[in-house]
Amino acid sequence: MLRLNRLFTLILIAFSSAFSGCDMDKEIDLNLPEFESQITVECYLEPGKPYRATITESTSYFGRPEPILVPDATVIITHNGKADTLLFKPGYDSDVRKIYTHFSETVVTGNPGDAYSLEVFDSRGRRVTGFTRFMPTVPLDSVEWSMNDERSISLLAKFTDNGSQEDFYRFTVHQDSLSDQKRTHDFYSNDRLYNGQKYAFGTSYRFSPDDTVFVTLYHLEPQYYVFLNTMDDAQDANGNPFAQPIALKSTVQGGIGVFATLSFDRKRVILK
Amino acid sequence: MVFKRLQFYFCGLVLLLVWSAAPAQTQYTVSGTLRDASTREPLIGATAMIAALNKGATTDLQGNYAFSVPEGSYTIQFSYLGYQTISREIAVTKDLELQIALSASENQLQEVVIEAGNLNEKLRTTQMSVENLTTREAKLLPALFGEVDLIKVLQLKPGVQSGGEGTSGLYVRGGGADQNLFLVDGATVYNASHLFGFFSIFNPDAVHSVDLYKGGFPAQYGGRLSSVVDINMREGNKQHYVTSGGIGLIASRVTVEGPIQKNRSSFLLSGRRTYFDVFTRKYNDINEGKKDFDPIPDYYFYDFNGKASFEIGEKDKLFFTGYFGNDVFGFQSPSGFNFDFKWGNKVGALRWNHQFSPKFFTNTTVSVSDYQYNITNKVANRSFNLGSSIRDYSFRSDSDLLLDSAHTLKFGASATHHNFGVGRLSGGTSDGTVAFNSEVAHTGTEFGVYISDDFNVNSRLALNYGVRLSGFAKDTSVFFGLEPRFSARYNLTESLSLKGSYTRMVQYVHLVTNSGASLPTDVWYPSNNIVKPQLSNQVAVGVTKLFGQGRFLFSNEVYYKWMNRQIDFRDGAQLFVNPNLDQEFIFGKGYSYGSEFYFEKKTGKTTGWLGYTLSWTNRKFPDINQGKIFPTRFDRRHDVTFVVLHQLNKRLNLTGSWVYGTGSSYSVPLGKTVFQDIAYANVQYVPLYPQERNNYRMVAYHRLDLGMVYKLKPKRGESDLTFSIYNVYNRKNPYFIYIDAIENGDETKILGFRAKQVSLFPVIPAVTYNFKF
Repeated sequence: MLRLNRLFTLILIAFSSAFSGCDMDKEIDLNLPEFESQITVECYLEPGKPYRATITESTSYFGRPEPILVPDATVIITHNGKADTLLFKPGYDSDVRKIYTHFSETVVTGNPGDAYSLEVFDSRGRRVTGFTRFMPTVPLDSVEWSMNDERSISLLAKFTDNGSQEDFYRFTVHQDSLSDQKRTHDFYSNDRLYNGQKYAFGTSYRFSPDDTVFVTLYHLEPQYYVFLNTMDDAQDANGNPFAQPIALKSTVQGGIGVFATLSFDRKRVILK
Repeated sequence: MVFKRLQFYFCGLVLLLVWSAAPAQTQYTVSGTLRDASTREPLIGATAMIAALNKGATTDLQGNYAFSVPEGSYTIQFSYLGYQTISREIAVTKDLELQIALSASENQLQEVVIEAGNLNEKLRTTQMSVENLTTREAKLLPALFGEVDLIKVLQLKPGVQSGGEGTSGLYVRGGGADQNLFLVDGATVYNASHLFGFFSIFNPDAVHSVDLYKGGFPAQYGGRLSSVVDINMREGNKQHYVTSGGIGLIASRVTVEGPIQKNRSSFLLSGRRTYFDVFTRKYNDINEGKKDFDPIPDYYFYDFNGKASFEIGEKDKLFFTGYFGNDVFGFQSPSGFNFDFKWGNKVGALRWNHQFSPKFFTNTTVSVSDYQYNITNKVANRSFNLGSSIRDYSFRSDSDLLLDSAHTLKFGASATHHNFGVGRLSGGTSDGTVAFNSEVAHTGTEFGVYISDDFNVNSRLALNYGVRLSGFAKDTSVFFGLEPRFSARYNLTESLSLKGSYTRMVQYVHLVTNSGASLPTDVWYPSNNIVKPQLSNQVAVGVTKLFGQGRFLFSNEVYYKWMNRQIDFRDGAQLFVNPNLDQEFIFGKGYSYGSEFYFEKKTGKTTGWLGYTLSWTNRKFPDINQGKIFPTRFDRRHDVTFVVLHQLNKRLNLTGSWVYGTGSSYSVPLGKTVFQDIAYANVQYVPLYPQERNNYRMVAYHRLDLGMVYKLKPKRGESDLTFSIYNVYNRKNPYFIYIDAIENGDETKILGFRAKQVSLFPVIPAVTYNFKF
């Protein structure tokens, strides 16, 4: 929730830079030991969308930056006893600006409680499994906005948490379109502080009159929330002297990655 | 079980006392007080010594000394660092009381004149693994930004490491940053630094001296595993009103002191503030409105120290000590994001010193210590407030009883009631439709009783043995700890002694941090049935040799420390305002061992020391590194410090220090993987860390600092200019390393990755003007 360690690092660097007036970074040789690659799975199930997965391999840090595909990987998603084998057919979806390696025609129904399992294996004997279940959608009660003296607009999206269980949320705001380059806010949170209460995610005064914004509230499974947090922590540990190294906690077993459902409510608002 | 062991230790103690209390020649007590002749302030840690008997004592917090000698005529010598030594011929035919005032050396640069008596005391005492420092010494050494810092000077001693470039954190003999007990006139201080450790909170103008115990802990200390930093504040001038201070590169300070009642009571008030924010605000004003200009956040710190001392009668003294300080960080963005972050300590202590007789005196202290941080964040029409605190109410009583010529007993008791505000978060919207509030708080009471005996068996052998029974109660859980303390000194010759010690320490409060450092947002947490008390055992043996007619001292200590129930946190731990914080801890063991060599010269125009430490510091946790042993981030195989002070003439003093340390161990990721994330989100490269913790060793750290103190000749009072150059040869020492993406020109494509090393401070010259009138 709070990344104060990052703040401390920024303060320190700013403090030292103010006195040094020079660049205190320098490139160094880092001889890393051999790295054993693993299958990386990324598969999100979204209601109304077909099964799609991206299967790659993790690589040495100084290896090539492009993801390495695993053409011989077999990907099977099972729902209600029906197993679908996804075909290896790498392609780029320009709508969502994502690359997928494996496809199926089967469309996700996405009813709350629907369960899905995943199995990925390749010719080297590597096998990754995962399990996910659709969460009920948590509706956005309202999206409100206010304007300051400089005619800048701040958003406030309110929703009501279910007090009978522990819940996890992700909140995103996109401006103008849902393109990833138009994303302005992305937070995750658990309901520990507001269990069963009305809660609000908001933004600073960063929008202008007539802007169109897309506000999305995802209701996450616990393991997906943990995955997102450890992913942030792992990134944070690289370049933060105050952070401990964090192992990414995948939602899948036998490899790295995430197999998760996306239950969300989205509102499109024109700021008049 | 605990009580049976306690009985065993006390029986042993009594037997030793009985065995050794056989009557011999009639003994008389030589006692008194040592004071500064000019200010009448007591001299703490000064030496009264009869060399012919190899007997003496060091003064306590009130400048008192007492020891027993047989009837006869002797020469007694009184000495103290920076003061002229006084010798007196005495005829002991009855108990003798000698009130002595020592004068500072007549040299303008009196600070460097140190008499050999101090080195003799290091040879004579059973106490080992201790470093003593006075503000006078510290003020001569070069300092980062010219800000004199006693804790950083302690880092120049063997066995003590800093938390990183320029920081004042202490890592003592493999202990963590949370395993140091900081005491200011007997009151605990929880976060002893400003700006994440760059400056300690102790204003040198208000501090008299600092003792750092690395091992061989006296029985009166407890509650932390690895070190005790005992800071004694100045009482203030009892004869004259004096104003002193300094104007430096980033901060200024002023101290006012004087008599309340001449020679009997005094006060001291001292304040300090940085003014970095004054410049950044100006800079922000100048650049306001410019495109792409990001304003620099406000940051400053301030602190105030105060002390008042009163002599109520012949046998009673009263002391009040207060400290108050804060760090303040603030940021306001044009988009309506307001962030205020404030953290600081408040400490108050009232001590009553009562002398029942020249042989028996007691210090009774009640104190309050409070540390808290508070973050207020306002974004448009909503806000949240996050904070944490710890507040202690403490009582302690410490007595010294000179039984006879062979035995000095110390005994006492202490109790501290802790209030842990582990986390507090509240927030909501301005229209009131959203409001949330959460708080995690605990209380606990820590207590201890102790007794120890300083036993001079004969002219060669001296023992110090004792035991401390400590405990902690929280709700229905009660923990006890039996902490035996033992140290011995054996004089092989008049100038060569062997020493050994064994100590056990128990720590009942724990710092919740996964940063590896001590940060303002770290919170303290009590022991309970899941988070059990931490425990350490340490053995040390050493040799101390004086040579060159007492002008040089050489010592070597070898230590081994093993620690149980060390704490860390599971990956992804939620440490903020978590009511189930117990579930986030993981537990393991720690091991540290090494050898510390120390060579010191304290007399003459050129003084200084050379220290070398060879050490290993490891941890073993079932849940980290696949259960295998791993080095801590502050494991440093070789550590060298070289400090030289040279008095060029009466007005000019030159100093230099050079430090070298094996590079810190650090965790670097070996691999990476790519996640595209959900639709409409960014592609992310995620570093993959190996199971092996701290798998990479950074390059060695070394740095040379130079300093110069030039005494001016003002018409009134005293003044000097202190010049310092930090990191003279501009070494880019590693602070941390990271792996960075190499992007194409328009930053649309990642071409590869490279490793980068970040350093903090290049060569930094500084000048400070100090005055006193």
